[in-house]
Amino acid sequence: MTMEILAPEVTAAGMTDEICDIVLTRRLRWWLPCFVVALGGLGLLGAAVGWLFYAGIGIWGIDWPVVWGLAIINYVWWIGIASGGTFISAFFFLMRVEWRTALNRIAESMTLFAAACAGIFPILHLGRPWFFYWLFPYPNSMGLWPQFRSPLLWDFFAILAYVVSSVLFWYLGLLPDLASLRDRAAGRTGQIVYGSLALGFRGTARQWKHHRAAYGVMAAIMAPLVVSVHSIVGLDFAGAQTPGWHSTQFPPFFVFGAVLSGFASVLFLAIPLRRLLRLEAYITERHLDVLGKLLLTSSLCVAYAYAMDAFSVFYGAEPAEVTMFMERAFGLYAPVYWTTILFNILAPQLLWSRRARLSQPLVMAISLAVIVGMWLERYEIVVTSLHRTNLPSAWGVYHATFWDWATLAGTVALFFAGFLLFVRLLPVLSMFEMRELIAKRRGRP
Amino acid sequence: MSARTPTWRSLAEHEGDPAFIARVAAEFPGLARVLAEGPDRRQVLKLMGASLALGLGGCDPGDPKGRIIPGIKAPPGIVPGIENEYATASVLDGYATGIRVRHQAGRPMQVVGNPAHPASLGAVDPIAQARILSLYDPDRSHGVSHGNQQAGWASFREAFERRRTAIDQRKGDGLRILTGTVTSPTLVAQLAALQGRYPLMRWHQCQAVSRDAVRLGARLAYGRPVEAVYRLDRADVILAIDSDLLSTAPGHLRHARDVAGRRNPVAGPMSRVYAVESTPDLIGVMADHRFVAGPREIHQALTALAAAILRQGSPQPGAPAWLAAVAQDLAAHPGRALIHIGPQQPAEYHALVHALNEALGGRGRTFDLIEPVEAAPIDQATSLGDLIADMADGRIQDLLILGENPVFTAPPAFAEALKQVPFSVSLGVELDETAQATTWHLPEAHPLEAWSDARAYDGTVTILQPQVQPLFGAHSAHEVLALLAGDRAPDGYAIVRATWAKLSDDAWHGALSSGVVSGTAGRPVDPPLRSGATVLPAPPDRQITLLLRPDPYLWDGRFANSAWLQELPRPLTKLVWDNPLLVASALARRLGVGNGDLVKLSAGGATLTVPVWIQPGQAEDCVTAHRGWGRRQVGAVGKNAGFDFLALGDGPLSVEKAGGTYALATTEHHNPLDAAPDGVVRHGTLAGFTADRQFLQTPDPQASLYPPQPAGTMAWGMSIDLNACIGCNACVIACQAENNVPVVGKDEVLREREMHWLRIDRYFEGSVEAPRVLLQPMLCMHCEEAPCEVVCPVGATVHDAEGLNVMVYNRCVGTRFCSNNCPYKVRRFNYFAFARDEVRSIQARNQEVSVRARGVMEKCSFCIQRIAAARIDADKEDRAIRDGEVVTACQAACPTQAISFGNIRDQASAVARRKASPLAYALLGELNTKPRVTYEGRVRNANPAIVEPSA
Repeated sequence: MTMEILAPEVTAAGMTDEICDIVLTRRLRWWLPCFVVALGGLGLLGAAVGWLFYAGIGIWGIDWPVVWGLAIINYVWWIGIASGGTFISAFFFLMRVEWRTALNRIAESMTLFAAACAGIFPILHLGRPWFFYWLFPYPNSMGLWPQFRSPLLWDFFAILAYVVSSVLFWYLGLLPDLASLRDRAAGRTGQIVYGSLALGFRGTARQWKHHRAAYGVMAAIMAPLVVSVHSIVGLDFAGAQTPGWHSTQFPPFFVFGAVLSGFASVLFLAIPLRRLLRLEAYITERHLDVLGKLLLTSSLCVAYAYAMDAFSVFYGAEPAEVTMFMERAFGLYAPVYWTTILFNILAPQLLWSRRARLSQPLVMAISLAVIVGMWLERYEIVVTSLHRTNLPSAWGVYHATFWDWATLAGTVALFFAGFLLFVRLLPVLSMFEMRELIAKRRGRP
Repeated sequence: MSARTPTWRSLAEHEGDPAFIARVAAEFPGLARVLAEGPDRRQVLKLMGASLALGLGGCDPGDPKGRIIPGIKAPPGIVPGIENEYATASVLDGYATGIRVRHQAGRPMQVVGNPAHPASLGAVDPIAQARILSLYDPDRSHGVSHGNQQAGWASFREAFERRRTAIDQRKGDGLRILTGTVTSPTLVAQLAALQGRYPLMRWHQCQAVSRDAVRLGARLAYGRPVEAVYRLDRADVILAIDSDLLSTAPGHLRHARDVAGRRNPVAGPMSRVYAVESTPDLIGVMADHRFVAGPREIHQALTALAAAILRQGSPQPGAPAWLAAVAQDLAAHPGRALIHIGPQQPAEYHALVHALNEALGGRGRTFDLIEPVEAAPIDQATSLGDLIADMADGRIQDLLILGENPVFTAPPAFAEALKQVPFSVSLGVELDETAQATTWHLPEAHPLEAWSDARAYDGTVTILQPQVQPLFGAHSAHEVLALLAGDRAPDGYAIVRATWAKLSDDAWHGALSSGVVSGTAGRPVDPPLRSGATVLPAPPDRQITLLLRPDPYLWDGRFANSAWLQELPRPLTKLVWDNPLLVASALARRLGVGNGDLVKLSAGGATLTVPVWIQPGQAEDCVTAHRGWGRRQVGAVGKNAGFDFLALGDGPLSVEKAGGTYALATTEHHNPLDAAPDGVVRHGTLAGFTADRQFLQTPDPQASLYPPQPAGTMAWGMSIDLNACIGCNACVIACQAENNVPVVGKDEVLREREMHWLRIDRYFEGSVEAPRVLLQPMLCMHCEEAPCEVVCPVGATVHDAEGLNVMVYNRCVGTRFCSNNCPYKVRRFNYFAFARDEVRSIQARNQEVSVRARGVMEKCSFCIQRIAAARIDADKEDRAIRDGEVVTACQAACPTQAISFGNIRDQASAVARRKASPLAYALLGELNTKPRVTYEGRVRNANPAIVEPSA
């Protein structure tokens, strides 16, 4: 069986009608219950953050030797998930990969909300969050600048650049489709809202020319940004001399990890969405097959990074590094380490089989395993490294508290609330690009 | 607590006071009218608004005995910003240790050592330092109470006057006075005068932490009471048997200084210290050889020593192998060897040790005998027994308890018998168990508020002078005794001055300012040793012996309400806020329990369920319990802290697993035996050092890519001699006091968030049964290439021109990356507003040090405020800061002078010389952090004749 990236019956007009219908007319029975649950989770996030700001970060489980905990883990995890969308929409756009077209809107929206979730953690994590803007090099009467040698400062810049660019890229890609919605909206409200959001895009040749150029430029900016942001996140750790962090391979290691969790998340969202919104004609088995292969590839990259991580510990043979690694692999937190290996390396190996790649429940399960596994990997990096540092007198343990978990659950709810709104209010496929693809495939202009 | 509030805290409490209204009328006529009418609800807001104005309004200095209202014009002699120090003494169980009290803006703020005092030589122990907290303790006794109801001094005087008439008629029959150990010449003179006036009165003494065995031992040995004063600097070989020489014995700070002076092989020939201990103590930490011994082994050891040195009896078979070597070593150093035995061992053992020391020729060399420092060295257990019996028989009508808390510390029979006494008075700083049980309670003036005098371990007298007017209308024991003698307006100053009437005014002022009355040290006496061999009583044949020891910081419980002392990690267990039963690992294994598991103790018909803690180096047949915990009537801090082991009766002890666990907070958050000290605490033997003086050195780390730090003329550095550190924690409390380091409480310590800027790391080496303990004070290393500085995104931690790694609290946003990147983990984070929430009163804070807010990182600053003060002084005189001019708080408090601090660029400075020692090393130097704090490695003067399994 050859797998097509478009079902045979797809036409440009039919596709546009159908995708616009989802937003403008279709009733989605499952939507409201899901959204209510997400709103409940948002309430939890509000409570967790409110209590945090009132009482201080002592409500979390962080302690003297392990001063970073779930906040940093969640931050790295979310930003890693965000990478998937950028990778698919920008990187594969530049590569002119055709299967990207049906997935990029979903992936980019995922990026947007995941980056938003990631972005709040560095602020929540501060001891005095109300002074977060001190990281910004703004002119001030005291003549104070931030400290440019700190990886955290560059992290702040990288995240800011990444989030801003992601929003712009996503919005730019939406413009022609917003115009389509405006044109098809039956009610006055829809016309006004979509019309305003479309910023006057009317589909003139000139507008298309500019749009294409701008989109290409943004893609060219985004592709290196996704690499830089994860490299900087890696340097947040590698820049310290802490055993378990002080490793030159961290920047690529973090890019690999990010991409792995990004692809897993796209799969984890695309498979159910495809069924719920009846998008099987556009997101075909071919897409799932390709994503499965990408997941496997990035898993192999991560496996290499894990191997090098272990290798460099013993090759360097610093006693503190060896102690830390042995503790990581065989100590209190050993289950975290081995579950990470199982979920991130071993589970994706099933995807060597084509049958496995096409089994949607199995792929969902593997994706979920990878998403969880990548969270555990960050737990292992942050917590186990800090709980066994150079000086034995400063060894300790870390246990997350209810408020740690509530904040994590709350950001998951934030993500889903945002994503559900996107599904409800915006076209889930990039219609204008799909039309181009259909035209190209059908050989008609 | 009932409403004992003679001082006022709000306007509402003052509404009816005519004096107050008169004062208000003078300044705010309208408001006075309102006040006189009494407030109604509508006026409350007006009053609140006025309270600020009133605070500023009452600005005449007033009668010092009246209300203390902060003045705008400072009293004479007080210049804002200029500190002062006044000498006095910290008296514990009768024995004085000289201290000085630092005053800021006229208020006492910190207790420091008194270099002129023989028991201090500038050092100060944690208990003395914590007295500043108890001075300002809001839970202190606020006023007179009668039957636990608030009363006034006037009503007490009236009642007392009536009793006195009756006492007079009975010639003092039925009148008893109970004190602790008394060395105060004034108190003794007063008691003697009272005895003259009331011939049938009796004076009892009972100190909760008994030294009866020491007293009786000396009496057995010499036929009369004498006091041994040890000259440890002259001892080449010391054998310490269950000894408290360095931890709790009178003069322990001086002992520590004297022993430590002989422990660094670079400075001079090393002494050799042997410790024989059932439960680890500080001398065992310092010892070159430490032997674990239960009561049976200690008995065996003494018998063997008697045989070897006194040729008395014959050694029993089965004496441990090391004994012969120790005995030989002692005998080989006549006149330079000393044996010391702890107060918990029987009197006969003490007598034998006296005989051994005489045989070793130590008299006049390693120890002197002086007249007893105590005024009346009696057997206190007998004295207390008599008192209880008399009370129970109803023979006592009037009982005065001065400053002690026997209802908590004495056997339960005391509290029972006390009910038979119709008129009982307790004088105490705290509202303790005894205050609740007596018919009258009087607030005692805090030791920093009253005139008194006391003797040190060598007899030296210190005049205690008040540092502040009594805060709660309290009176001293002298004043209460004067009241009993019929003085209607007793004046503490006059009473103490009268005792020292022979001192001229100049001499008196000299004694006050130096803290020492010159010429009062005890002169050696020369009593002959009684002939005849001492018969040692056989050790009790018990499977498990309970060693009830005073807590090193809470003592007998009198300091239980001190947050500093509660949260001070115990030297060897690092436990805080609790006193589990300390057991040997073998016993724990046998019982099937681990740290924090509950066990049931039964003895003498009473049972107690307590958690256990495995103490490496504990004798298997001994369990250790610290007294002073589990107070029933105590302020907010000491409530629900620990267990009262006195609840157990006498008799054989049985221990069984009870099931369940209890959360114990310790500042070592890992299994101590996992942590290998290799390379961290560098150590070796004297033989190794003699063979190669550089034997602890490792090759220099590789060159740095960064340019070296700017080479100014000043570069602050520190050297810590690990040979001297005994882990007494004086530095930890000194740092806490100096730098306003907050206490966080047990829950936060359980969450690993303690805040001490300076901690003492403890490592074990060797087997869990008999490990060697290695200590390492750990504070900010002030690295020249500080890893914390490069990772802070806002530049809140930076280097200054003199090499300090400074922390800019106001700039810190709390990313905590600096702590992650600190290999020494010396940074502490304010997870909550710890400083806001702690109990430390604002008066006890150092005004020169800012208090850190929530969400901010903090750490050791090398006492930058002291550097700044010295710099100002130097600048005024247009000169450089001299060596020794800046003394950090930890350095000043240290009894062993383990810490040197100064300018490392000045080759002549003490610290530069210490850093040039062949033992000096940088901790984790391989990380190229170039720490400004270096350590001098630990050298053990091992006896080659003794082979240790894990040597």
